Amino acid sequence: MTPANDLTHFGFSEVPLDEKQTLVNDVFHKVARRYDVMNDLMSGGLHRAWKNALVSSLRPPRNRPFAHLDVAGGTGDVAFRVLDAGGDQTRVTVLDINGDMLEVGKDRAGTRYGDRITFVAGNAEALPFGDREFDAYTVVFGIRNVPRIDKALAEAYRVLKRGGRLLCLEFSHVDVPGADAIYRAYSFNVIPAVGRMVTGDAEPYRYLVESIRRFPTPQAFSTMLEDAGFRSVSYRPMTLGVVALHSAWKL
Amino acid sequence: MTNEPTSPANPASDEPSVAEGTRVDPKLLEILVCPLTKANLEYDAARQELISRPAKLAYPIRDGIPIMLPEEARSIE
Repeated sequence: MTPANDLTHFGFSEVPLDEKQTLVNDVFHKVARRYDVMNDLMSGGLHRAWKNALVSSLRPPRNRPFAHLDVAGGTGDVAFRVLDAGGDQTRVTVLDINGDMLEVGKDRAGTRYGDRITFVAGNAEALPFGDREFDAYTVVFGIRNVPRIDKALAEAYRVLKRGGRLLCLEFSHVDVPGADAIYRAYSFNVIPAVGRMVTGDAEPYRYLVESIRRFPTPQAFSTMLEDAGFRSVSYRPMTLGVVALHSAWKL
Repeated sequence: MTNEPTSPANPASDEPSVAEGTRVDPKLLEILVCPLTKANLEYDAARQELISRPAKLAYPIRDGIPIMLPEEARSIE
């Protein structure tokens, strides 16, 4: 057990582990309605290509049952893509700790997917699902915000069926000299400024940028996946390493 | 899992007075467990709650979305 007063990172600040979740929640409450617009502005639309690459890699089957769990996917952006790519028997459960984000997703889904999509409020570190329920688990730009990543990965492993797969899209570390400096300047200056313009508040975006810099390298994250029991762990850098697509299997 | 209300808000009717569209997907109820104990849950349709006896918690369902967070749950005895 981890003592409650252990410190973790909140951007570049050190905060007690239990406080991090509250602070992260505040960030997303503030930006829920404009989250996807902000993603477009901040990534120059690239987040769409990254998410499409994830779904291409996932390749949900079109003619047999496929139970998918998307964690930290409140606004439904990833879930809709999986449903569009899959067949009639593809079902997606969207889990998010933030009720505001889920409301946005539920509104957007409307009735077009019927009961193929469901929304649940829950914590990635303590999933409210039985063992071996899902064929796939995705977490897109979400694992970085989880205070205890190892717990979340252990839970992901637990709820996956044997032969199930985890895909994780997360910001990474630009390793091209020159490009790194430009990316750093862009992320620390432009992103919080755009955030202020669109949502009236730069602070949530300052946090996002800092949390990206603090996230483990793709190599270190791969080791965490292996420690959680996953096998055939691999990753693919995209856009000069701005993001990485991680893949891992429960064998 | 049982669909029997433990404490019906509307004792005159067996049917919960829940608007269409806010009902929870039955398939979802099948896979949900208590996040603390991983125990199966009882569905209280009238109160729109999911009850974990071992954890002594009732998780609320709001607008058809189960809120599976212990900090949002109601303590029960």
